[in-house]
Amino acid sequence: MKTAVSIKNLNKIYSGVPPVQALRDATLDIRDNEFFTLLGPSGCGKTTLLRLIAGFEAPTGGSLHLFGEEISALPPESRPVNTVFQHYSLFPHMSVLENVAFGLRRLRKSEAKAHATAQEMLDLVHLSDFAARSPGQLSGGQQQRVALARALAPHPRVLLLDEPLSALDLKLRQSMRAELKRLQKETGITFVFVTHDQEEALAMSDRIAVMSQGEIQQVDNPARIYEFPENRFVAEFIGDANFFEARVGANEEGSANYHLFDGSKLHGPQGHAPEGATVTIFFRPEKARLAQTGLAGEVTEILYLGNNTDYLIRLDQGADVMVRSENHKDGTALAETGARVCVEVDPRAIRVLIP
Amino acid sequence: MTGLRAYLKDHAGILPAALVIGVFMIVPILIILIYSFLAPGDYGGVKPEFSTDAYQRLLFQNDLFDQLVFDPAYLKITFRSLWIATVAVTGCLIVGFPVAYYIAGQPEERRNVFLLLITIPFWTNLLIRTYCWILVLRDTGLINSALMALGVIDAPLTLLYTEGAIALGLIYTYIPFMVLPIYAALERLDLRLIEAARDLYSSRWGALWFIVVPLSMPGIIAGSILVFIPALGAFIAPDLLGGGKNLMLGSLVQLQFSAARNWPFGSALAMVIMAMVLLCLMLYARNLRRGGGGFQH
Repeated sequence: MKTAVSIKNLNKIYSGVPPVQALRDATLDIRDNEFFTLLGPSGCGKTTLLRLIAGFEAPTGGSLHLFGEEISALPPESRPVNTVFQHYSLFPHMSVLENVAFGLRRLRKSEAKAHATAQEMLDLVHLSDFAARSPGQLSGGQQQRVALARALAPHPRVLLLDEPLSALDLKLRQSMRAELKRLQKETGITFVFVTHDQEEALAMSDRIAVMSQGEIQQVDNPARIYEFPENRFVAEFIGDANFFEARVGANEEGSANYHLFDGSKLHGPQGHAPEGATVTIFFRPEKARLAQTGLAGEVTEILYLGNNTDYLIRLDQGADVMVRSENHKDGTALAETGARVCVEVDPRAIRVLIP
Repeated sequence: MTGLRAYLKDHAGILPAALVIGVFMIVPILIILIYSFLAPGDYGGVKPEFSTDAYQRLLFQNDLFDQLVFDPAYLKITFRSLWIATVAVTGCLIVGFPVAYYIAGQPEERRNVFLLLITIPFWTNLLIRTYCWILVLRDTGLINSALMALGVIDAPLTLLYTEGAIALGLIYTYIPFMVLPIYAALERLDLRLIEAARDLYSSRWGALWFIVVPLSMPGIIAGSILVFIPALGAFIAPDLLGGGKNLMLGSLVQLQFSAARNWPFGSALAMVIMAMVLLCLMLYARNLRRGGGGFQH
């Protein structure tokens, strides 16, 4: 499989007092024709990485290859890469069509050819009737689609998307997710998508790089990222999790007992840690259930989410855990606040983090 | 009655503005207009007789036999004035745009310092500042003596008392009127648009030409108008730096009200200047309506 963007030991330090290291030794290969997402909280370096690929920033160190060619010294206009900006950044003095044709015109395509391609791109994002309008006359969602058409029109080798959906309302955001996914398939262009929204990342991506404090934490497909996070940050940032400090107990046939420090015990898969070591284990709230046996406790809070309900339970030994569960088929809740319950965790759902 | 009272109540707020405009603009213009249709008094002033002589004099003169013959002298002055004013606008634009662009790109505290510096020349009398240019430009002035000392030239260049000197003086005088409106337009410019243009294969200069210039066009046009109007009627720079031999409309008007003692002709000239300015503004307004120079947000 071809590599679209190859990043090796890339660093970015913003000068200032004190200097800020926005990106630290980032190493990453983005494959051709994949939907790749950079996910992390604000300030994690994901936008810096995107701007380095686009050419708006120069790296402090490291190398950056695009289809085998070193590009870190090239100005943005010399890189076959286009960006969809968070705030759209449409040119207010041009019509929608002129906006979309802008890149092609700068690449010295004839006006007729540029406008024909621009019109095709507007068809692709279902805005062909808006070609003559000015961007100010469009809604936020429409402007976003124009920005997308504008970035796709020159047919870049890689399309960079900088939180393109964050300014849209929920319904629009959800429909745009499907739209983006469709566009990526139809055009065959490599998408590099930046977001802080984990749900968005899981739903759209072929692969995700989770970033924190300028460093790449884990690169994997969405299911692996969610099911088998490599460290506590990834496990915590994506989805919810119940964490415990535990001592590894006796091993038996590939599984182990984990002694929690509050005195209770969980059965789980054998990790890499030897017997007696202290590790962090966790399980996702939807992988536990309220049952007759297991860790005993009392329901302290109930969060009704529509499709699910979150039960916060204080265990008798002192720890708090969250259990996410469907309601009964008739719509009634599994337990009321204050009820005595037991939390049963499937041993296969226990994950042991490498310390 | 109640209608009138309601009208007054609703519009009382604009009364001070209407009063100021009426007293300080409409009335003086009316006086000039009336004077331009009267006969000149013997020692300045006007005689209360209706006459269109002042307007005739713009194009015709009485020859020896008291026949009206076409005389292009004043027409030439008019065209020279338009030409020099246009040169002044162009010069202000060439110098002013980069200055405004540079200031707009500075951190905020520093911008205010620069803007203050731009306005500092206004603290000194215009006459004195223009005299200083004589010291710079004359045969024994700063430029000529420097060039001769360096051995670049043997004899002084004729810099003073040329149309070029007038244009230079006008550019110097009116450049803040160009810088400030362009700066105001650039300050509002979303710099991310430049990034977007670079991303879409524009060079630095391409982004300037396709994005920055069109979006600062309202400032460029406002600045051009603000320079063009006073430059057309200027008389200090033409008098001092043009030596009075390269007459411009402004100096001609001044002459009519002083040495020539022909107030009606001076008034008629003033009306001509005003008509030309109005014509320019109307052309601009029409262009704006078509969306040519308009700013859409």
